[in-house]
This record gives sequence, structure tokens and C-alpha cells, in this order.
Amino acid sequence: MKTDALIAALATDVRPQAGLGARLQRGLPPAVALSALALLLVWSLRADLLAALSSPALVKTLAPAALGLSALGLARGLSAPLPRAGVPALLVGALGLTALAAVLWGVATGGLGALTMHAEKPTLLTCIVSIPLLSALPLAAILWAMRQGAPASPLAAGAAGGLAAGSLGAMVYSFHCPEDAVLFFIPAYGTMILVMTALGALLGARLLRW
Amino acid sequence: MRAANRGDQRAYARLLGAITPVVRGIVRARGGTLGAEGCEDVVQEVLLTIHLKRQTWHEDAPLRPWLYAVTRHKVVDAFRARGQRIHLPVEDFVDVLAAPEAADPFEAQDMARVIDRLEPRAAEIVRAIGIGGESAAETGARLGMSEGAVRVALHRALRSLAQLRERMIE
Repeated sequence: MKTDALIAALATDVRPQAGLGARLQRGLPPAVALSALALLLVWSLRADLLAALSSPALVKTLAPAALGLSALGLARGLSAPLPRAGVPALLVGALGLTALAAVLWGVATGGLGALTMHAEKPTLLTCIVSIPLLSALPLAAILWAMRQGAPASPLAAGAAGGLAAGSLGAMVYSFHCPEDAVLFFIPAYGTMILVMTALGALLGARLLRW
Repeated sequence: MRAANRGDQRAYARLLGAITPVVRGIVRARGGTLGAEGCEDVVQEVLLTIHLKRQTWHEDAPLRPWLYAVTRHKVVDAFRARGQRIHLPVEDFVDVLAAPEAADPFEAQDMARVIDRLEPRAAEIVRAIGIGGESAAETGARLGMSEGAVRVALHRALRSLAQLRERMIE
């Protein structure tokens, strides 16, 4: 086939394509809503939800939500041949460092014993299993949208997508989670969000190649 | 490109026509060992990618760096995929072989082979519009499809071309 013939075929196909953003808007809200519905039906909301949402424990929902939105911005920024993701990268970094600082401060004031005490709680297992399950649909929606992109590094872009999905899963799980201690939820949520980040990177390296 | 993203076919054809020599230059500079035809295969692959990923160019950014980034990515990819293939330069056999017909340097084989693997109707549409030079409306009238349906089918066909190509080369 001659190159001119190919150009003629390509030039005829100028219908506007659904970009990454359009697909994200179409796929992600239903995915998060389905995860929330699953939480409602299978996990059930925590009994004192209303009281918790008007207490400092609200951070447990807001922080993952903020991290999730920043990571979505990062994933979009990294989905181009010439990545530009300065602001969302800074936000993600700032949120991560704040979480780390909060844990270190908690250990410094309460001692390591406080951390291991939380690690022995049976709810930890529920948390570890639940967050990946609740993140699965958002991750699928995010990667589906990101396939419209052309990331310079599919691995890095996939990791950002996984970070966003894990954070959104943690946000949904926070409506069930009865543990409000900083030394419980930051290490537990943080670890599972990192697991989802790694999964996103692995899947991204395969699915986001172009 | 801006006009193309608004649906202006002529502007888009002009743009692709202007881009092609630049891409060809980059590919030939990197891939002398592939021969003219092999290089043209890569050029066509790059053009197809530019087409399918044109939404990742931000309209407020200059086009050229984006174009180079896409081209570099695809060229690296294409040469990695072809890395194992042995290519013997024809010049070594000039004495042995009868001189071949002067080949058209802008003709390439891979794309035609991939088009053969499309569904018959999709292949027909790509050939009619590309090689036959028909418009979407003419092809639609001949195949009994609406112009819109031809455009949708063409778009799907181009996307599957890219996927099939990837699979065939690996």
C-alpha cells in the first residue's frame, strides 16, 4: 500500500474521538458508585457513620478522596507522549509526606507499641482484603480510559492510575471502617493503596502500550 | 491539526502530507538497514499512530515536539520489534540477481498484508477510500451504507489495523 493511499484513508476519518477525559467521566463515576453499592450491601455502613462524619475521623474519607483526585490528575498528565504533570505530582507528594509525617509523629508520641497494638486488630484483615476489592472496578474504569492516551512511560502512567484507584477504594471503604486511630488507618490504607499502585504499574506496562 | 480535530478533512490531509517527509527522514536516518520498503512500513506505522493518538496533543502546546515524541516512540518500538529479523542488503547480490524492477520507494508491503486480515467489508472500505480515492459518501452509496456508517466502519478498521499490526509483528 502506498503511503499516499494510507494518508487518504486516515484523512477521511476525522470524526472526533472520545478522549481520555471523556471516557473517565463516562466510566469512573459508575465504577465508584458500584463499589459504594457493594459496600452498602456486602460490608454495611458503620453504625455511627453520621457521628463519625462530623468528627475528625472525616479525614479518613477526605484524605483518600484528595489523593485519588490528585492521582487522577497525575494519571492524565502522564498519559501523553510529552508528560506534564507538575501540579498533581506535587499534590500527591505533599499528601504522601503529610501521611508519613502523621504516622511518624504518632509513633514518636505514642511509641511503637501503639502501632503494633493496632496491627493485631482483627479489622486489619478486613481492611486489607476490602480495599483491593473495592478498588478493582475503579481501576478497570481508569485503565479503560487511559488506553485512549499515549503515555511516554506506560509503567509510570499505570502506577498513577493504580494510585488513584486504590485511593478511591480506600475512600469507599472508610464508610465501613470502624477504626479511627491515625496509627491504624494511615499504615493500613497506605499499604493497600501502594499495593494497588504496584498492580496498576504492572497492568499499565502491558495494557497501556501503544 | 487544530482544524483536523474539528473535522476538516482537507486541512488534515495537507497536514499528514507535510508530516510524512519529516517522519520519513527520521525513520531513514535511524533504519538504513531496513531498506526503503522496510522504512516505508515504519513510516506508515508512525502515521497510523499519529492518527489514532492525535487527541493526546494539547491544542495550546506546539505541535512539533509532540510529533517528534510520537515518532521517536514508534520508531524505537518498530525497530525493537524487528530487531530479530535479519535483513540482507540487496547490494551484496547485485551481481547474482537480475536487476529488479525499480520499486516505488513509497510503496510498502506490511500494511497491505494487515488489511487483508481485516473483515472483508472493513478491508473493502479502507481500500476504496485509500487506494481507490473514493469519498465516504461514494463508498457508502456503492455498499448500501450511510456515509456516517462508512465513517464509523473506517474508524474501527483503522483501530483494528493498529492492533493487528502489533500482533503480527510480535
